[in-house]
Amino acid sequence: MPAQLQALEPQNSGSAGAVEVLTFELQGEIFVLEATMVREIMDLVAMTPVPGARRFAAAVINFRGRVIPLADLRIIFGMESRPATIESRIVVIEISIDSTPTLVGLLTDRVNEVTTLDLANSTPPPMVGMRYRPDFVRALVHREGQFVILPDLEKIFSATPGSVRSMQPA
Amino acid sequence: MSGKILIVDDSSSLRIAVKIALTAVGYEAEEACDGSEGLQKASNANYDLILTDLNMPVMNGLEMIEQMRTLPKLAGVPIIFLTTESDAGMKQRAKAAGATGWITKPFQPDALVKVVKKVLGK
Amino acid sequence: MNPSGDPIQVFRAEARDLLERAEAGLLDLLQRPAERPIIDDVFRSLHTLKGSGAMFGFDALAAFTHHCETAFDRVRKGEVAATGDLVSVVLEAKDHMRGLIEGGADEAHGKALIARLEREVEKAAGTSPAQPAQAESGTHGWRVSFKLPHDALLNGCNPLALLAEMRELGPCRVAVSTAEVPVLDALAPQECHLTWTVEIDAECPRSAVEDVFVFIIDDMTLDIAPLGDVPASEALEVAPVDAAPGTPASPPPVATTQPAAEPVAPATVVAAAQTSEKRNTKSDESVRVPAERLDELMDRVGELVIAQSRLSQIAAASPNLDLRAVSEDIERLSNELRNTMMVLRMVPVGALFSRFRRLVHDLSRETGKSIELITDGESTEVDKTVVERLADPLVHLVRNAVDHGLETPDQRLAAGKTEAGRVCLSARQAGGEVVISISDDGRGIDHKRVREKAEAQGLVVPGAALSEADTLQLIFQPGFSTAATVTSLSGRGVGMDVVKRTVEALRGSIDVQTRVGSGSDISLRIPLTLAIIDGLLVRVGTGRYVIPLSAVEECLELSPEEDLRARGRSFLSVRDALVPFLRLRDVFGTGTQPERFQKVVIVSTGAERVGLVVDQIIGDHQTVIKSMSKLHEDIAMFSGATILGDGAVALILDVPQLVAAGQEQEAQLRAAG
Repeated sequence: MPAQLQALEPQNSGSAGAVEVLTFELQGEIFVLEATMVREIMDLVAMTPVPGARRFAAAVINFRGRVIPLADLRIIFGMESRPATIESRIVVIEISIDSTPTLVGLLTDRVNEVTTLDLANSTPPPMVGMRYRPDFVRALVHREGQFVILPDLEKIFSATPGSVRSMQPA
Repeated sequence: MSGKILIVDDSSSLRIAVKIALTAVGYEAEEACDGSEGLQKASNANYDLILTDLNMPVMNGLEMIEQMRTLPKLAGVPIIFLTTESDAGMKQRAKAAGATGWITKPFQPDALVKVVKKVLGK
Repeated sequence: MNPSGDPIQVFRAEARDLLERAEAGLLDLLQRPAERPIIDDVFRSLHTLKGSGAMFGFDALAAFTHHCETAFDRVRKGEVAATGDLVSVVLEAKDHMRGLIEGGADEAHGKALIARLEREVEKAAGTSPAQPAQAESGTHGWRVSFKLPHDALLNGCNPLALLAEMRELGPCRVAVSTAEVPVLDALAPQECHLTWTVEIDAECPRSAVEDVFVFIIDDMTLDIAPLGDVPASEALEVAPVDAAPGTPASPPPVATTQPAAEPVAPATVVAAAQTSEKRNTKSDESVRVPAERLDELMDRVGELVIAQSRLSQIAAASPNLDLRAVSEDIERLSNELRNTMMVLRMVPVGALFSRFRRLVHDLSRETGKSIELITDGESTEVDKTVVERLADPLVHLVRNAVDHGLETPDQRLAAGKTEAGRVCLSARQAGGEVVISISDDGRGIDHKRVREKAEAQGLVVPGAALSEADTLQLIFQPGFSTAATVTSLSGRGVGMDVVKRTVEALRGSIDVQTRVGSGSDISLRIPLTLAIIDGLLVRVGTGRYVIPLSAVEECLELSPEEDLRARGRSFLSVRDALVPFLRLRDVFGTGTQPERFQKVVIVSTGAERVGLVVDQIIGDHQTVIKSMSKLHEDIAMFSGATILGDGAVALILDVPQLVAAGQEQEAQLRAAG
């Protein structure tokens, strides 16, 4: 993880740092992820449902010969699930879950671009008043007239209480 | 004692000292001042033993030893390197590169002759 | 210039081997304190460890090991006996050395160990060594047997020079063995395959002989034994030190050397009779391969299996006879490759067992209980992953057996048993499984007490009917413990549930047999092959699933009439027997309509037979098991996933878990309405 983002704590949100990110859309909201964690951007492929799995990761896919979970961030952020369109893509990322590097596929409505984000424009998420769970959001970054959301994926997928993994299965 | 020895070291005083010690007991000795020259001379002439320092400009001793071991002509020719006592890691690396044995610096001329004789068998 | 990677990692791996070797030798010494070859071997391990440690910058290790090496040198020279106390200190020192290599070593502890070591050495020096005849022998000569690495000549080593140097020490008799020289076609002329045996008549110290080989000693096989030495089996009858200059007990045929340095004629073939036990300074005949490479290879083989099965499908449907023939060949080769891979990954279980000797030794000292450890079936081979994962659980089981199972010596004598408690570790192959058991002849497990404790812990409803076997299985529940006191050795019983989970993660099972007063036997059954299984591919709704073939007993058709009859009931009638069944459609919640002619796959969970109703049986399928990711690993019904020939994913069913989950689901449904 780029060192600049690690320094992204409320107290020094003034620290400069430009980082390469991938921007994608979910329900019209723009999300960003660090480009370094992206392994591939795929068209939708056959999804195999996993009976008994939690809703946010209800299926698995074949990624280069490996079976990886397919996560639906919309469910994590409490949005409604909408059917896929021709623009839907799967973004395969590698993140650390319980200290193990793990590949996860993220369902997206649309993938926009890889661009540079200036973190000097970021603010920590407000504790109240935001639609999404603040502890799942690392920062809101101001960019081209709107705020884009930088999710805290490691937190989201970690096994700590309150995380999505402690949600009840479908 | 007989045999032709190549001394590779960038220090001219060391080369002279070694040459004297070896010729005094009957060996022939020739000199090279760095790994590159050493490699060149070894490819063109026939030596019974090569004595080399490791730390040299242009081409250092490790590289030279590795290159020498790729030359069929030098297969089986003993290569002795000079090392300081505390440089234990270097011994391992030099052996891996193909060196036969070592002498620790600083050394007395007798010690040098002893090692050369040990390795050559004559 | 180490081609196989980071030199420090290579050193660490070798150091680990050396430490294990030293430990095994030290433990052997406890039983046979005067055996020379063992002492030499331990000394050599310490010596190499010290030298390599210094070379790679582990100065603290080198300095510490130096003390042990010195102590052992004295043992080697016969000045000091290898007493039980001395060996115990060195064993502890060995642990400290591991700490120095891998981190976590306490300097103060190290100093304390050295102090204790020195005290024990002094104490042991006071006792007469078991074989005074061995002390300082070798003053009449040495028998040197050595073999150079294959590339020695290429790197400038000259065996003639070595022989010449030995001749300077004293008159020599030299013999050479060409037994390992390959046939001419396979012989690379620059390689060295000879083994020499040299007898030197010289009153010189061993170090003088070792000095001859100083440049090459790390890479070669070298054995130096005092001349006049006799085979280990006859050691007890050795003559006292002032005997006449010794001649070897069984002189091998020798060829005397010419004074001039002429080559020893290779034609002089001699079977160099090794009378002293030879231990190599470096293990030969094996190649060190990083475990990740083996795993990668395993993955490749797995993918090959998948592609090959797809090829078989296509070929079977094709009229092209050539294609079919080639496809059959590839199927055969692929099977052989898969079997070879299985074998490559197999390691003898003995590797696991060796660490228990040390454990039992320590436990014996800590508990004051006298323990006899018996091992059986060390050569039984098991996949290396199994060895790695079972190591800690087995430790826990052994500790448990000693701590809770075995009684104190007094209690045992009072009960009419032998003073020493017996713990037996055994491994054997049975069918497609490996069975590893830990038994003890201690007090056994009282299932009534287990029941009481479980009820007190709320794990069991009082009055619920439980078989004795099921009651005993309760000891593997989290939080369970029958021990009245908590000992530092085995903790609060939190280990047993981990043991069970680990075994189940390996798709194995754990079984407890016990008799109060006589002892207990805990058996772990683990399937032999871990990564590739034969499965039955079925379709349920739109998804495809794999049922491990080892669990499948038979397949039947379920006609629509029978299906109707079975509604509301939980049993199918199969050849006059009633078999409980599960509709996988319901268990998985597919929401699809059933096929008109469904199929029932009768599976066995070991304890019972259950029928699984599926929409379609597709066929046999060899599959490579891919593990589920962290996000799905807690779904018990599936033990893994696999990729089918067409690229789609099929989940692999864990039959016992599936059956349990399905039955629970049904119970809930019934309770609800």
